[in-house]
Amino acid sequence: MLNSFSVHKSPLWSGSASGLLPLQDDFKAQSHFKLEKLLLEMQDPKTGVKSQPQRLVITTIPHAITGEDIIAWLADRFQVDTQEARNFVSMLVALGYIYPLQDHRRLVIKPDASLYRFQTPYFWPTQQWPVEDTDYAIYLAKRNIRKRGILELHEQEHYNRLHKWMNHKWDFVVMQAKEQYRAAKERKKPDRVVFECQERAYWVVHRPPPGTVSAMDYGLDRLTDPNADEVTGLLCCSFKHYTPLTRSLCFLCSRRLVKYCSTYKSHDPFLSNCLPSNPWLTDDATYWSLNMPSVEIPTKMRVERWTFSFAELLSDPRGRDDFRLFLKKEFSGENLAFWEGCEDLKWGEAATMREKAEHIYKTFLARGAPRWINIDGKTMEVTVKGLKHPHRYVLDPAQTHIYMLMKKDSYGRYQKSPVFKDTVKKAICPEEHRYRHRRPSLSPIILRQMEQEQRAKMAANVDITQVMSKLSKQGKEAPPPFLFLNGILLLSIKPLS
Amino acid sequence: SSHVKAMGKDECKTMLDALNKVTACYRHLVIALGSTSDSQNLREELKRTRKKAQELAVANRTKLTSLLKDKSISKDDRAEYERLWVLFSSSMELLEVDMKRSLEIGQDFPLKVPTRHLIQTGMTGSTTTVAARAMSVQNMKYEADSNIDTADLRDLQCEISQVSQMMEEMEMKVQVAPWAVEAKQEAGAELKSNMSVGNSSVGVISICEEEPKEEDGGGNRDAGFASICAVLVFFVIVTVAVVLGYLVINMS
Repeated sequence: MLNSFSVHKSPLWSGSASGLLPLQDDFKAQSHFKLEKLLLEMQDPKTGVKSQPQRLVITTIPHAITGEDIIAWLADRFQVDTQEARNFVSMLVALGYIYPLQDHRRLVIKPDASLYRFQTPYFWPTQQWPVEDTDYAIYLAKRNIRKRGILELHEQEHYNRLHKWMNHKWDFVVMQAKEQYRAAKERKKPDRVVFECQERAYWVVHRPPPGTVSAMDYGLDRLTDPNADEVTGLLCCSFKHYTPLTRSLCFLCSRRLVKYCSTYKSHDPFLSNCLPSNPWLTDDATYWSLNMPSVEIPTKMRVERWTFSFAELLSDPRGRDDFRLFLKKEFSGENLAFWEGCEDLKWGEAATMREKAEHIYKTFLARGAPRWINIDGKTMEVTVKGLKHPHRYVLDPAQTHIYMLMKKDSYGRYQKSPVFKDTVKKAICPEEHRYRHRRPSLSPIILRQMEQEQRAKMAANVDITQVMSKLSKQGKEAPPPFLFLNGILLLSIKPLS
Repeated sequence: SSHVKAMGKDECKTMLDALNKVTACYRHLVIALGSTSDSQNLREELKRTRKKAQELAVANRTKLTSLLKDKSISKDDRAEYERLWVLFSSSMELLEVDMKRSLEIGQDFPLKVPTRHLIQTGMTGSTTTVAARAMSVQNMKYEADSNIDTADLRDLQCEISQVSQMMEEMEMKVQVAPWAVEAKQEAGAELKSNMSVGNSSVGVISICEEEPKEEDGGGNRDAGFASICAVLVFFVIVTVAVVLGYLVINMS
């Protein structure tokens, strides 16, 4: 239904008509509230859905609506086509706002004269009212009374299961079932029939028979309603319960989150256009080739990311290369080399760990080492002590120290250096891909057809040549045109099969 | 004192039965809210049923807590009182939920606003007999003001908070583990009652499951028709026999 390519935006789902959310997304109170408003509109005696009485064996019950009437009304109300309206009404039926009078187990909308009826507000699906097993047990007990012990298979299974785990409440269930049954009998027959149909429809929605899909299946329960207020507003409303420390932490966290999002927004290929084009959409892999780990000339966006944070620079191989070049010019490349060595130790194999640690010590930390790094005395002491029994994280304090040194000192200078400026100048900004030249991959159906044609051609060729050779051997002048016709028939028939 | 205790237990059971009955009727009334069965009278019925339920609840709670506090009762007695307590608290849970729902629906469906239509559920009859059953009277007399649909909601809000508070207190003060209670009724106990599961309910089944594919519904309907046909055929045969007999007598 929601095709990322489709230009046509159905007014049923967009904000224009009524701002209803699609079924797959949420079940939030917001969407239900709007559905309920729509249902009220349908009840209008003048402009609502036409209703007719339902004639049964002995009684007549009013307020039955046909499937085609309700679809037509909805199509007219929202100015959409019949298929869209039908999809929408099928959602209403699946949720239980409208229930079918015939074939009550299948919650589908039939666009013909099949009858439906509106469900009473008590049985509407709303997030705040959980569906209780106690109620279901009472319902099953009532049904047991009416059907004199012959329940449907899945109902019987539910009944047994509930009897087992809800045993402590079972007396209540039986008592309440009997009383509810007696209370219902106080009403006149048409109302009694309607009540039973309503209750049955409610439980078909919430305890669907096996093999049917329930519209009530949704994802995880959220603690907060994302549609209610903005995120900051939501934090504020629970603030009064927090200590001042928690409050300030929450505030800082949210500020950091907002800052992160605003910084990275234009770099996210989902949220904004990525240049030249998203390869998954256009089948054009230029984006990937331009952003290879060790490409000569990086893209402008990539270079911009290096300025966001030092970690960003180091994590990008091309950025790290650039930084290394700069440090070489400054004659302080040993810091980066040491950092890389530490990373190698941390993430490397356990077998070579000892050698690596020794090598690093000899190269960077020992007195008079060729690439001696400048760390403070305390850290050096701790590191040297740790190296006696080296493990993966023995160089962590030293690494952190060097990292902070590079970040505070070299990083700033790097951004002002001619190396970086040169890189920025040279960085390319690829043109946006023009969809006209898009080469979509061949559809697998077409590929298969081509394959089959090929095969048929080869088979036909073989047939004809074999036959021809056989015939020539036999010396008969067989009617080649006939065989040719056969071959052509083969060719034409096979791809179609 | 055992006689007194037995009386206490019976009294308790009677009161619990009454509360159970009122809760069931209240639920039935709340289900009619917002539908075409809704009316001024229904709102008044809800109000009075609710108040009766609360009176019974308070009475039950007092009685049960006094029974449970008695340390001198036997183990069997204690088990029985705990069972009654579970019955009571389950009733209260149902009542609380229904009160909350009636508040929400009552707010969504004011009766006097012409643009707020009631949902056409097919139910059009009155619920006065259900309310009469709850109040244990023959006929209901309606005396409420015309603005009951909005005025009552304020009372309802207060009452809901009172009930919630009462239930919290109950949980705190009375130490009963509900899962430890063993029910006296077995599975299918509801079938063994002396209920009049007579023709009227059979008729209701056949009307409700009216699609021809459903075996039970169709079967029941066929059974109904078959029985009518059998009776008719019987009468026809008897008439024919009488006529033949008369002719035979005349001829001889």
